[in-house]
Amino acid sequence: MRRRLLAAAALALGAALLVPGTALAHGLVGKQDLPIPRWLFAWAAAVVLVVSFVALATLWPRPRLERVEERPVLKVPAVLEVVCGAIGIGAFVAVVWAGFAGSQTATANLAPTMIYVVFWVAIPFATLLLGDVFAAFNPWRAAARGVSWVFSRAGGGTPTPLAYPTWLGRWPAALGILAFAWVELVYVNRDDPSTLAILVLLYAAVQLVGMSLYGIEPWTRNADAFSVYFRLFSMLSPLHWRARELYLRPPLGGAPRLDPVTGTVALLCVMIGTVSFDGLSQGQLWTGTDGIAPHLQQRFINVGFSAETALEITFTIGLLVMVGLVSGVYRLGVVGMQSVGRGHDVTELSRRFVHSLIPIALAYVIAHYFSLLTYQGQAMAFLVSDPLGDGSDIFGTATATIDYNLVGANGVWYVQVFALVLGHACGLTLAHDRALVVYSRVREATRSQYWMLAVMVGFTSLGLWLLSAAAQ
Amino acid sequence: MTAPPLAHLGHWYHSLLYLAPVVIVVVVLWVQERRERRRGEADEE
Repeated sequence: MRRRLLAAAALALGAALLVPGTALAHGLVGKQDLPIPRWLFAWAAAVVLVVSFVALATLWPRPRLERVEERPVLKVPAVLEVVCGAIGIGAFVAVVWAGFAGSQTATANLAPTMIYVVFWVAIPFATLLLGDVFAAFNPWRAAARGVSWVFSRAGGGTPTPLAYPTWLGRWPAALGILAFAWVELVYVNRDDPSTLAILVLLYAAVQLVGMSLYGIEPWTRNADAFSVYFRLFSMLSPLHWRARELYLRPPLGGAPRLDPVTGTVALLCVMIGTVSFDGLSQGQLWTGTDGIAPHLQQRFINVGFSAETALEITFTIGLLVMVGLVSGVYRLGVVGMQSVGRGHDVTELSRRFVHSLIPIALAYVIAHYFSLLTYQGQAMAFLVSDPLGDGSDIFGTATATIDYNLVGANGVWYVQVFALVLGHACGLTLAHDRALVVYSRVREATRSQYWMLAVMVGFTSLGLWLLSAAAQ
Repeated sequence: MTAPPLAHLGHWYHSLLYLAPVVIVVVVLWVQERRERRRGEADEE
């Protein structure tokens, strides 16, 4: 009882701590003119989630997503795989080339927009609709497969790879996403095209070494941070690519198949926590004149660090604290769940329900980056024509501009709210479906999900609070 | 002299409006869980 009380109190406290006063405004333009106050959306979202929970408890008595049937709809020729791989390698080369040879002004160079908008934001959107498209275009995987093919044709073959260590699990992917988020949100030279080109080359080199040691597919499935990241999102898609064949399945149907190896929980908490920090770091509470960041930065300057290093240390702390808070809220939900029924420990439950965090992670990405994609994504029209920012006009679109009236501030807000509510409702559905398998009695399954409902409402309020702060 | 880190909370009570539904849901669920647990124990007896 005491444990549950503590869990409930800590859930509320966790959500409170995560609620500042401003947040993310990636390219947000115009002023919102909403018919009701923004905080009422958080209340409405909570009502929607509670109603969804009741509906699931009464209308969903048997697991329906654990074993979904997939229907083959299309076969693709092997040559398409080669073409996609070549396009991926071509894009990779273009980014590196632009980074080194182009203008070092971030907005005039192809590399920053290609990495932070197309790669990091557009691919998750495309993945939700089309399945794991990145697997086909993954440049380092394509290069490794190409080399492997050449070796096999030459008759030499490649050495037998080592077995991928079980203890390593998805930890390399979790650290990789955390490192990317650090570069994007903390590193002071994050927009410097040549620095980005070096980091891209470094990442690709690590992947090639990893694939040569442990095999292309085992490494890609577990340790290539971006492959794992996009593959997680693809599990929500109704389209599933497998062995050059396209299968159709119910939406969310792939998520219960997630193999929750070690590091998976950490990876999803990193995914949600880093996006949350992105929101927090753009708000007044964090960066305002009297905000937390300037105060902390000053303290580090006082002990002898330069202003730049002090800022990076401050933001690193913020990033890690946010990831820790998200992990803590999820952990508390699982601790509460563990108090229902017998024979389940926290680690086991934490892993068995981790797939319910995938739609939340995607909802956070959509909500936080929709405006960035909408506005900055248009910059690709002129950047592809002038990738180096040297005045060239390869495709005749170098004079294109960004239309900031494409979606208004109200439209962005409604998309954000819709994404957050739908994402959390999907998370609730996945958790409910899994609970029906984990717990022998329906009543216990429903009771166990009280805690997941609290987690979902907490994450939704957090997301809306961060976004509303940005819009102020 | 630097300002305390939370000085800029400003309309901090505005943030509580986002926290309120979380607290309400947690309290209601906790009460409901407690009630069901008692009912379950009574059934076992």
